[in-house]
Amino acid sequence: MSLPTDFGPDSGGRIKGLVIVKPIVYGNVARYFGKKREEDGHTHQWSVYVKPYSNEDMSAYVKKIHFKLHESYANPNRIVTKPPYELTETGWGEFEIVIKIYFHDPNERPVTLYHILKLFQSPVSEGTPPVGRALVSESYEEIVFQEPTQLMQHLLNSVKPITNGQWMHDTNFEDKKEKTLERIILAQGKVQNEISELKEKLQLAKDTITKFKEEIAKAQNNLGFGCNSKVYQ
Amino acid sequence: MADILDILDIEQPGASEITRESIIHGDKAKKKYVTTKAVRRPEGMHREVFALLYNDNKDLPPLLPTDTGKAYKQTKARLGMRKVRKWVWAPFTNPARKDNAVFHHWKRVTDEAKEYPFAQFNKQVSIPSYSESEYNQYLKSEDWSQAESDHLMDLCQRFDLRFIVIHDRWDRAAFRDRSVEDLKERYYNICAILSKVKTNPWSNTVTMVNGEKRVYHYDAEHERKRKEQLKRLFDRTQEQIDEEQMLLAELKKIEARKRERERKTQDLQKLISRADSGNGVANSQASIANDGPNTPTSAVSNIARRHDRKLHKKKLTSQQRPIRAVEAVTVEWSGIKFPEARGTGVWLRSQRMKLPPGVGQRKTKAIEQELRLMNIDIAPTPTEAICKHFNELRSDLALALDLKNALASCEFELQALRHQYEALNPGKTLNIPASICNSTADGEAKPVGEIIDVVGSPSALNSTI
Repeated sequence: MSLPTDFGPDSGGRIKGLVIVKPIVYGNVARYFGKKREEDGHTHQWSVYVKPYSNEDMSAYVKKIHFKLHESYANPNRIVTKPPYELTETGWGEFEIVIKIYFHDPNERPVTLYHILKLFQSPVSEGTPPVGRALVSESYEEIVFQEPTQLMQHLLNSVKPITNGQWMHDTNFEDKKEKTLERIILAQGKVQNEISELKEKLQLAKDTITKFKEEIAKAQNNLGFGCNSKVYQ
Repeated sequence: MADILDILDIEQPGASEITRESIIHGDKAKKKYVTTKAVRRPEGMHREVFALLYNDNKDLPPLLPTDTGKAYKQTKARLGMRKVRKWVWAPFTNPARKDNAVFHHWKRVTDEAKEYPFAQFNKQVSIPSYSESEYNQYLKSEDWSQAESDHLMDLCQRFDLRFIVIHDRWDRAAFRDRSVEDLKERYYNICAILSKVKTNPWSNTVTMVNGEKRVYHYDAEHERKRKEQLKRLFDRTQEQIDEEQMLLAELKKIEARKRERERKTQDLQKLISRADSGNGVANSQASIANDGPNTPTSAVSNIARRHDRKLHKKKLTSQQRPIRAVEAVTVEWSGIKFPEARGTGVWLRSQRMKLPPGVGQRKTKAIEQELRLMNIDIAPTPTEAICKHFNELRSDLALALDLKNALASCEFELQALRHQYEALNPGKTLNIPASICNSTADGEAKPVGEIIDVVGSPSALNSTI
């Protein structure tokens, strides 16, 4: 791949104070065959994917995405170099897929995501009801480019929107974000109230301990010195 | 050697083959086998298999055992070649017997001259004797008359100091009944006195007594107590045995609880030292006010604590420590400190929500439990705002948990102090404010047994108070 501008071996150096955030969504969809397949015992067809949260062409800055499947698959290390960054397989079991995203700039280290492949609906629904017969399990993530190199900045800024076929997310992350934040802030207030209450109580407890000790010291003085070990026979 | 030759495919001379024959017969065997070694190993056959087939010569193994040599045979033992010695039915007398009774037994003719061999086992005990003047001079006793003493010595002589028998044969008609210990005490007392007095070995008995300078001292009182003790042990009823077992089990439980408490105290100590080490950094953002005046006191308490740690081995001061621990924790501990953002490069937002490794597993579990109770995902959608607030929330939760623990220790301490006070001032008590007790009522209340136990141990009262 030919790069538009040559930034040299250090990719043009890092740009101080700049932070670029690229939100993504990763996860899997799974579809049940309806029965166990005779020849290999597989029950589901699934696809694991990484896609941009907003409509943009990730290939501008992503060089390749590496999916590491369970060892029981033939050549478990699958590499996808072009969007859609997606991999379809069949299987019968859930396992952890290691997803490693490589960038065009060799000076930026790859990032690693971990996704538990989900085939079976868990008893407690997690707010992602299956569309039709498909089960979706996906997560929101943000890739943070802290002080990126000039090359990386150039790549990140030259992202084009996707023209053919936009991504539709099954999960309403905007709504989820809002509600989560709300709930956390609410809980924070509650816990802080509890903390100040606890602090007051603790202060009281400490004062009481001091008081008790004084009382005991007084009582001991009344009994006279040196006999303190005999009180308990 | 043969292996190497074989590997290199070199024809080996038959003489190098070692067989049992060659070892036994030496050179003779060599000539015999020189001619037989002409067969080569067939192509493809393993050397080991070939060696099994053609080890000596090509003949099949014989069906019948052919080894007729005498190599392993021993010379026959020659038995029963002489005449047996004669045994005769003969009369004998036992010198140990005084009645000259004659018995018969089988014996060898050659042993005729010997005296009865078992007579030597008839050992006589040397019982000291005393004259009347000696008795009057040394052996007079308030409790024992001379006749009674004589009777005792007589019985000792007759029954060879078997005191149980002596006690049984004691002349109860003439003298009053005495215990075995009484009899023994009198006898050994006489022996001791006589051995001191009679330096001159004029008789058999005295020589024996005097021969050894060490005089046996019979501790009658100790013997009586010992027997009484054994008797009591034997006379226990089943209920008493059960009760004892139960009490022993209780003791074990108490000791286990004690150990558990000491362990907890140590855990708390660790927490303090951790809070101490983080103090320098955390001071600036310590959420609790009046940091300034606290610094000198914490230095003082540091020294005191170090002093305490030394004393801790004696276990006596262990009660003293939790109080100080509580104070230290509340002043210096402030939630979780999340690492600062890294300088440059690419990272994932969710990495910022990982708890730092310093947070223990127990605390992590407790925080997650609290989050679940508040219906918050333990791995929420990672945006910048959510990360920030989520981390703050968990830090606060950790602080709250620590405060709760500290409060629980405080209450525990208060209970102990109250019991101590009650013991000092019977009838009076101290009131623990109700708001403090409430905290432990939900969830992690201390078992009652623990509190009672603390007061029961003498270390609860300390002179340093």
